[in-house]
Amino acid sequence: MAELGRAALVVSLGLSVYALVAGAAAAHLGRRRLAFSAQNALLAAFASTLIASAVLLSALLRNDFSFTYVARTTSEALPTAYTISAFWGGQEGSLLLWLLVLTGFAAAAVRLNRGWARDLIVWVVPVFGAVSTFFAFLLVAVANPFATQAAPADGLGMTPSLQNPYMLAHPPLLYLGYVGLTVPFAFAIGALLSGRTDERWLVATRRWTLVAWTALGIGQLLGAHWAYEEVGWGGYYAWDPVENAALMPWLAATAFLHSVMIQEKRGMLRVWNVLLVLLAFSLSLFGTFLTRSGVVNSIHSFTQSSIGPWFLAFIGVVVTVSLALVFWRLPRLRSPTRLESAISREAAFLYNNLLLLALCLTIFWGVVYPLLSEAVRGEAVVLGREYYDFFLRIFGLPLLLLMGIGPLIAWRRASLRSLLTTFRWPTGVAFVTGVVLLALGAGSSVPGLIAYTFAAFVVATITLEFVRGTRARKALGATSWPGAFSSLIARNRRRYGGYVVHAAIVLLAIGVAGSSAFDTVAEAKLTRGQTMEIGDYRLQYRELDERIAANATEIRAELAVTRGGRDLGTLEAGKNAYTIEEQVSNEVGIRSDLLTGEDLFVIAEQIDPDGTVYFRVFVKPLVNLIWLAGLVFLLGSLITLWPDAREQRRLVERTREIGVPATN
Amino acid sequence: MARTASPARLVIALSVAAVLAIFLLYTSIAGGGNPSLAPSELAGRSGEVQLAGLVVGPVAGDAHAGGLTFRLRDIGEKSSKAVSVRYAGSVPDLFKVGRHIVVDGRLQGGMFVAEPGSMITKCPSKYAPKQSGDPA
Repeated sequence: MAELGRAALVVSLGLSVYALVAGAAAAHLGRRRLAFSAQNALLAAFASTLIASAVLLSALLRNDFSFTYVARTTSEALPTAYTISAFWGGQEGSLLLWLLVLTGFAAAAVRLNRGWARDLIVWVVPVFGAVSTFFAFLLVAVANPFATQAAPADGLGMTPSLQNPYMLAHPPLLYLGYVGLTVPFAFAIGALLSGRTDERWLVATRRWTLVAWTALGIGQLLGAHWAYEEVGWGGYYAWDPVENAALMPWLAATAFLHSVMIQEKRGMLRVWNVLLVLLAFSLSLFGTFLTRSGVVNSIHSFTQSSIGPWFLAFIGVVVTVSLALVFWRLPRLRSPTRLESAISREAAFLYNNLLLLALCLTIFWGVVYPLLSEAVRGEAVVLGREYYDFFLRIFGLPLLLLMGIGPLIAWRRASLRSLLTTFRWPTGVAFVTGVVLLALGAGSSVPGLIAYTFAAFVVATITLEFVRGTRARKALGATSWPGAFSSLIARNRRRYGGYVVHAAIVLLAIGVAGSSAFDTVAEAKLTRGQTMEIGDYRLQYRELDERIAANATEIRAELAVTRGGRDLGTLEAGKNAYTIEEQVSNEVGIRSDLLTGEDLFVIAEQIDPDGTVYFRVFVKPLVNLIWLAGLVFLLGSLITLWPDAREQRRLVERTREIGVPATN
Repeated sequence: MARTASPARLVIALSVAAVLAIFLLYTSIAGGGNPSLAPSELAGRSGEVQLAGLVVGPVAGDAHAGGLTFRLRDIGEKSSKAVSVRYAGSVPDLFKVGRHIVVDGRLQGGMFVAEPGSMITKCPSKYAPKQSGDPA
């Protein structure tokens, strides 16, 4: 079986090389049949990678420990779901998943677009071929998932904290996001190579970018939720290099999704967009390099291996070649239009882009700072949480405000007077919110107060947009208010889906500000019967239970919780001691108030043999809005992504209009 | 050329300048981060540093009463040179002899006094094979 898998990978490598070489030759010489055969090679590479993946999956499911990979990542006792998750648990398997998704995306993107953008596609194929050649080569020559050995009696098993449902979805979603960014990259490079630098590559890849971006966003939120519930230190994001590795490409892709609209509408920012796509793709490669090479100290420690230098070299090649191409095509990337005023929709989008990019680059600087200072000063200096928090406020708060301004400001040129009329209501709402919150004591954190005021402003503009649009549709003859509302969204999914995503970001901002700027913490060592207080909560430590579960001993402290004299029932917090793995894990107790979004978060930090427990308790206001934001984000993305034949036709037509004079 | 008058360029130039200004402001106020050192590099250091090392026993004391004491030595090297550490505050689940940890703090009279609650443990190599010499 292992031979079949390995052979399939070699075939994938051969087909990828063919797609690269034959595809490039066909595009250069203008051979249609050869170009077609290169496209088919990409499809076939997907098929053979699928075979290799099936071999590995079946080996995992059969517990075939003669596969080194299977023996290292699973054990007999591991539940089936986690056995499947071991596919992307190890390095070789995750590279295989990467290649599978890549070839799948490439085959689909090429097939879907070859009808209407043929001269572009012929140049996209060799780019896909080049990227998949790199991954196939790694799998064949450096990190072989099909290495075999004399089968041991049992495998090494999986770290307990990863035996968690989140690990079924969190890593593959991140992969989907990372790999998905290859599609806009390949089309951008294809556009540069072919000289077809009009807006077509944007139209062809818009949904792909959105899918990748959505997957990356949801994947990160799932990871944050996992950390909050399972790791149990009271937080959800630690600015760890590996977390940042996923955040950076997401920020770059967010900037791209916005600036694309400017290019579609006004033909501006062409160079900028190509550079953003290049940045997003390089950052996704850099993220993999970071996690796999172990050059930076991280709480996540993955297998540290020899693939690091390969990635670094590949990133180097990608960046150099792409920049050279951009430089070569600069004359064709000249915009036919340009910015007319610093107060306009275009300008607002440009500010948004600059802020997102600034945030992205400061995070990048923070991640590589230990390496740079080591090289320059001889000792690694680590930038802590304060560094990141500072820049999140400096760049994040203006971004929040722009989210309310950008969508309402006029294209081309807006007058100050029209701005005053447009934003009269939202500004009023924001002002009143600020004053009320100040009266309620939110002034204890200035950044928190600003965040809430800005959030109120954005919510007001979004509501205003929906109300206006629905009224207009009612006036145009919609029979009912709900009917008017749904037809409003259906007629312009991109715009109103975008507003829903903005609402999600507002929820996220409120949740983050609430749980970080306005949280409270209390600690106490309690013996049975003693109580502690935090805010209006009163916790009484009742008793300590010890239970024997299948693979662990569970120790739980039971607490009776009341708030303002009202009985809220009991809460359990404790520790699990895993027998085989010889590990202890905190099992926190969380009581969520669904009405206010507040969490009472209890950690039993230390349990003494005499039954005294050292408790650490947090009250985190509004933290549940972060998870709600994930759902709203998904809803907004789905609205935007929903197939819309009319809109696609409109875009294609518009590209023809703009595209022809610009390219000739 | 008239292109140089484009507000887009002005905006970009001003933004870049603003970002640099903020950056300089930040580094001058916060003075950057702390150096990250191994236990063997600690001798003679008086400022605040981040110490990364491997926990060597015996672990004694109570983290929430008087503090936990243990010793740290360099990761990966056979050097037996270790430094005593006193730590108070929250102890991560994975803390035990043989684990890699990171703490912030400063050297005081031969003892590394860690900042309360600053300890971070590294996850045991996620799905990696057990390495020789890894007692966990």
